[in-house]
Amino acid sequence: MRSHAIHANTWTRKAAILAVSSLLLGLAACGSHSSTSGSSGSSDSSGSSGTGPLTFAVFNPFSGPDASFGPEQLAGCIPAAAAINAAGGILAHKKIVCKTSDSRGDPADAVPAAEQLIATTSSLVGVLGPSSDEASATVPLFNRARIPMFGDTGQAVFNQSSFKYFYRITPPDDAVGYAMAVYAHQKGYPTAAAVFGNDISSQGSLPTVVSGFTKIGGKIVLVQKIPLDQSSYRTEVAALIAAHPSVIFTEADPQTSATYFAEVKQLGHLGPFIGTDGTTQPPWLKAVGNAVGAPNLQRYYVGAQPYAPTTGVPYQLWLAQIKAVNGQVSQPASQWYSDSYSMAAWDSINLMALAMVAAKSTDPGVFRPWIVKLATPSPGAVFVHDFAQGKTALEQGKTIQYVGATGDISFDQWQNSPGAFAIVSSDGSTQVATYTSAQISAAK
Amino acid sequence: MTGSLFVESIGFGLVTASILALASVGFTLQFGVSNILNLAYGDLMTASAFAGYAVNHAGGSIPESLAAGAGFCALASMLLNRYVYRPFVRHGTKLFGMVVVTLAVGIILQNILLGAYGATFFSYSFSTGRQVHILGMVFDTSQLMIIGLSVVVMILVQLLLTRTRLGKAMRATAANPSLAQASGIATDQVTDLAWLISGALCGLAGVVLVLNTSAFQSTTGNDFLVVIVAAAILGGVGNPTGAMLASIVLGVVTEVAAGFLTPSFKEIIAFGVLVVVLLFRPTGIFGQGATVKEIPA
Repeated sequence: MRSHAIHANTWTRKAAILAVSSLLLGLAACGSHSSTSGSSGSSDSSGSSGTGPLTFAVFNPFSGPDASFGPEQLAGCIPAAAAINAAGGILAHKKIVCKTSDSRGDPADAVPAAEQLIATTSSLVGVLGPSSDEASATVPLFNRARIPMFGDTGQAVFNQSSFKYFYRITPPDDAVGYAMAVYAHQKGYPTAAAVFGNDISSQGSLPTVVSGFTKIGGKIVLVQKIPLDQSSYRTEVAALIAAHPSVIFTEADPQTSATYFAEVKQLGHLGPFIGTDGTTQPPWLKAVGNAVGAPNLQRYYVGAQPYAPTTGVPYQLWLAQIKAVNGQVSQPASQWYSDSYSMAAWDSINLMALAMVAAKSTDPGVFRPWIVKLATPSPGAVFVHDFAQGKTALEQGKTIQYVGATGDISFDQWQNSPGAFAIVSSDGSTQVATYTSAQISAAK
Repeated sequence: MTGSLFVESIGFGLVTASILALASVGFTLQFGVSNILNLAYGDLMTASAFAGYAVNHAGGSIPESLAAGAGFCALASMLLNRYVYRPFVRHGTKLFGMVVVTLAVGIILQNILLGAYGATFFSYSFSTGRQVHILGMVFDTSQLMIIGLSVVVMILVQLLLTRTRLGKAMRATAANPSLAQASGIATDQVTDLAWLISGALCGLAGVVLVLNTSAFQSTTGNDFLVVIVAAAILGGVGNPTGAMLASIVLGVVTEVAAGFLTPSFKEIIAFGVLVVVLLFRPTGIFGQGATVKEIPA
């Protein structure tokens, strides 16, 4: 349009600078918009030293590509808080609340959100999170503030971390990779391609799925690290087809995966694909299911995720408590009934709450050591499976061992409790195979 | 990279280029006429995709969804400029200030969409049709439709700008709004029309983008904004013809790079091309330059 040239160079330079500056400003602006209050109410004014409400924060993405992580954690927090409140609260604090803080899945947004959460929530006694998206940037912040956190991050860097206030009762990403490799081997796939998003969150399982599959006799014919949210991946798909893999290992955000696998299908080469636990989330299954068709997803897809039993007393207690707050969690509530991450979040809150009761203090510096103690077997310990049972037993002077919805919790010296794995079908919950940590170790 | 994959990647690049051309021409047209770098553009694309989705979800065909997306975005863009951007300009907001305003509008819009539709993904119901092989390139029917739509729209835009009184008025307004007004051109109406047209392009781009991605959410259009801005700059800011050609360059280069190198490099290569071109030709590949001026109030 601009055909009449005067001071041509200056003009376009200025436009280019403006564009770049604007984009940088955009990032900065996004970074400043990160915190939000909780769905189950929140009150920060009383502090943890009096009798006012105590706050557990869900610090996870509630927006952005991994926006499904936050509601999943919240679905564990809300029933736990409701059950704790019904059991009379923790010590003198009769009310427990869950507060959400949106990390937006981006370290640039997450750091100010975490700082704001810490600075403005004097009653904060525990955190669910962070996720892989923001853990590296924010775990040190919570640790410095002496707030116990149960990370849902899968990053292997936390396998042996020195952060005293960091706990993890979900398996690390590298274990997910091994589980995927073991399943592919068991199914008899000789060759595989690994198609992963090039973001931090998606990359966690890539090294171990490649090394694990190779170690147990498979051949990796292609590794693709694809940029997220492109309008098309046709060239990448053409390269994939040319490599003739018998199975695809994958993780990327829902939109990226939907575009990619839709194009695999359009080119007539849709075959078996095994996703990480990031792909067993409802938004991923919905997006990819719509893109390739539900029958195709059912036929070709399975996902590896931390194993959580769907029978037994702890599971029944969890199920009863989540059903009791059906209307307060993200809908449909049934999606969380057998969600291992929501169950782990429920266990995490119960453990922290019981640790406070056992330590007779809501000071994290005091109750923190009890978190490990209460999950560790000890002679004569009474097994308890939720907060009410544990509180009653502790008040009776008994020693307890908490065994929650996710099963036995066995912390190592780095406060990690890696568990077993399940391979689930396209509904995200039906288990088609389960592997113990010992079986997964075969691929290491 | 095999020869056949190279040829195929060029074909795939043409599809990407077609989507990019629709988006970048609309973007650069807005900038050309109003001097406003509208960073809410990507979010308007998403809103249009949702408008088209509503029609598709109610049983509408893809052409009807395209019409809905284009119509919605045309109107929304025109109203946005008239009732939000222009008052800021009249109150003396300068170039950089307007960038911040458009950014704010984009964030607001994105959060409205997030609130309305939630953090989940949506897909249009449509058939991609059968595969067609042309000169070693592979397309499906829906992609040929996207390429065809883009070609037709680009021709129409070119004819509009060069062969009609409205096009000349738009160019005059872009070059010197005060002089255009003194010459009897109703610059406000011309600007409104320019935003209607560019908004329609934005709406079409939003719908074809999500047809191609197969799934979308409240941030999908914004994810595409950087490459739209890159195409506009590469083509010479404010130059629709340049934006069209730059879209082809970027579309093909990114796809060939994905096949030739690792896919992770596709954006790096694209922006590398942008940086190198701007180093040697600061007006963009096809830019002929323009006057430095403030936003016409």
